Amino acid sequence: MASSFKQIEDKLKTEAKKLLKTGQVSVVLAYGKGYDDNHPMPYIAKLPSDADNIVFNEYCTHNLARYLVRYPKGTKIAVAVKAADSRAVIQLIQEEKVKREDLILLGLPAYGMKNSKTGEIIDSQTTCGLYNPVLYDTLLGEEVHGQPVVSPYDVLAQYEAMDKDARFEFWKKEFDKCIRCYACRKACPMCYCDPCFIDQNNPRWGEKSPQSHGNLMYHLTRFHHLAGRCIDCGECSRACPVDIPLYLFHKKVAKECEEMFGQASGMRIDDKPVLVNFRVDDSDKILE
Amino acid sequence: MLKKTTIDKLPDLAAHLMEQGTLLAPVQEAAGFNFQVIADAKQVDLNFHNTVLSPKAAFFPQMEDFVRYQTGKSILEAVPVELNLKPTFLFGVRPCDVKSFTIMDIHFSGTGLVDPYWQKRRQAATIFGYAFDLDQPAQAEEFYKTLGIGAADPDGSDVFMIRKGGDLLLKGVTLKGEKLLTQLSLLTAASADEEKYFEDYIIRGRDFKTRFTFLADKNIAKKLEDIFHDSDFWMKVSGACLSCGVCTFVCPNCYCFDICDETLFSQGIRRRVWDACMFTDFTLEASGHNPRTQVFQKLRQKIKHKYSYHVRKYGVISCVGCGRCTKHCPVNIDIFSIVEEAMKA
Amino acid sequence: MSFEPKILGIACNWCTYTGADLAGTTRLQYPQNLRVVRVMCSSRINPSFIFRAFQLGADGVLVGGCHPGDCHYNTGNLYARRRLAVTKKILEFSGIEPERFRVEWISASEGNRYAEVVTEFTEQVKQLGPQTKFKISR
Repeated sequence: MASSFKQIEDKLKTEAKKLLKTGQVSVVLAYGKGYDDNHPMPYIAKLPSDADNIVFNEYCTHNLARYLVRYPKGTKIAVAVKAADSRAVIQLIQEEKVKREDLILLGLPAYGMKNSKTGEIIDSQTTCGLYNPVLYDTLLGEEVHGQPVVSPYDVLAQYEAMDKDARFEFWKKEFDKCIRCYACRKACPMCYCDPCFIDQNNPRWGEKSPQSHGNLMYHLTRFHHLAGRCIDCGECSRACPVDIPLYLFHKKVAKECEEMFGQASGMRIDDKPVLVNFRVDDSDKILE
Repeated sequence: MLKKTTIDKLPDLAAHLMEQGTLLAPVQEAAGFNFQVIADAKQVDLNFHNTVLSPKAAFFPQMEDFVRYQTGKSILEAVPVELNLKPTFLFGVRPCDVKSFTIMDIHFSGTGLVDPYWQKRRQAATIFGYAFDLDQPAQAEEFYKTLGIGAADPDGSDVFMIRKGGDLLLKGVTLKGEKLLTQLSLLTAASADEEKYFEDYIIRGRDFKTRFTFLADKNIAKKLEDIFHDSDFWMKVSGACLSCGVCTFVCPNCYCFDICDETLFSQGIRRRVWDACMFTDFTLEASGHNPRTQVFQKLRQKIKHKYSYHVRKYGVISCVGCGRCTKHCPVNIDIFSIVEEAMKA
Repeated sequence: MSFEPKILGIACNWCTYTGADLAGTTRLQYPQNLRVVRVMCSSRINPSFIFRAFQLGADGVLVGGCHPGDCHYNTGNLYARRRLAVTKKILEFSGIEPERFRVEWISASEGNRYAEVVTEFTEQVKQLGPQTKFKISR
């Protein structure tokens, strides 16, 4: 029997308070109250008393791993992680952005998460299909078992089956909606480049104006930069004000990487990200 | 004089307007309603609460071409892009968004330094304001009452529209609007009862409940100035901020832009595109120095620009309480709560 | 007039470019549709180059590198192999014909192979017709 959101919230509060009191961490990244119950916010607790403001409910979809890279190296941080978030943390550790010993991972087994904009359940569609964190120090609640296991890649079938021209039209239509607010890259835990390639002036990789070709350049390159790194949390799509289904493309690239290189992103600390790694016996077939 | 038509005849009304010029009206899209140039009169749909993007793009498009040129050739050969505007009808703008135009007017044309693109577009446009439905509760994000804007304020519109059941009541607010209405033959005259309903509706709109704690006034500007150096406060409220540009791009009042040259081989275009104070390169100087790099500094700038600097410079708050920034924020940051908290700090 | 495609070639300095040189000095005939850019290693190729080439009107992109194991920098082409494989998948899913993009390993001594690949690829792109999907139109 899985723990209820309320039970997890209580445990999260107690644990955060304990960690801050004992000084094991200086920051706890968790969720706090937003302007209403359906809109919780990422919350940064620094004092033991802050821990009382922590909440956790089905709308706490944000990926808190996003905030880790903001802190100077060596800061002791406790971070509340759901399944995809824990993969993001692992991926960041692989990329040496954070150190395992600086982090305390508070695992949140969560089932039935909802998109606060639409209210729909996101578990199988826009998140990685796991319910339990992959890596954690303390699990706040009981592991979720017995829920239907859906392959995160199932949603792709319909798009893969499309004719290439139809698929191009589909993506063109979606990318044309883009207003270049860059919420996708800012919400993404793996997008930490400074400056981002699209902000560079010399060379200029893509136009700044929101037109088809600049948008295409931005999104395709971003998909490429996240190849083998995207942990499928779906934050990019939820952040998008014009609802571009970016997660579909990310899933596709993740699927291809998994098939070609036999490794899913953010599953083991000792792995190397697939694109900064190689095997001498990689097949040339992958280029066909 | 008050005129009326039925909602069923909306396509006819739209078709009439399309004959006279360009019609911009709300259209249902995948992510919600948005203003679009109408090609098919049947597309016009007034069953919306408010649009995802604000209607500011009608006068201040996200991308505006200024000059076309050839690289390596004399500047004298550069060709300015002319604005060939047809009369434009901006149909179904909510009162808070209409108010935003009057605020932006001060900035773009009210201080002697006139932005010709804004001004020409503005002059070519007739705005059809459209009252919120007072029988439906306001959305949780909205707080226009705090800024003294009623849910059915006709100020700023040329024509103001109120829906009464299956009818649509229209009234000319400005001379331009009134003239237009007399030309539209499919409108019929409204009865005295309806006239009374219309007037009452406007008054009722003033008391329409949205989030409200105090009437936003100059005290906010003063208070925000006082706590400028209170970094702890700003860090606390900006803790979750991702510094993306959603809030500025959906805002009806944000007008910052960037002018950039975009070339394709030797063909160059100098154009203006929206920019946002949340972006890293917004304040990047040519020397490489960037005076505003921290997230809290950027969010502080955004809030202070709206509630403090704008008041100091132009005397009005540059926010209309439409709640779009809050609604679309990926991490649910609420500008209203921040201002509220600032007043307590 | 028959369609003459514009093809961007990106060749590694040590193998493919030298191979192209050999093809030239041995006076091998191959189509002139390829415009070659020399890079120091196939792993220097930023995938954005390829996207950009298509945007700027290339009908095809041919990347040439050393045979795996023969890289002048030991491992460069092994990284490139993975990276460009991903590029190809992205192109495919975005809806452009993936056949417009090709990666070949051609060593410095394979002038013949170079001429063969260029002939074959040019023919293939010719069959596909002009690339319009990514091309910027103003």
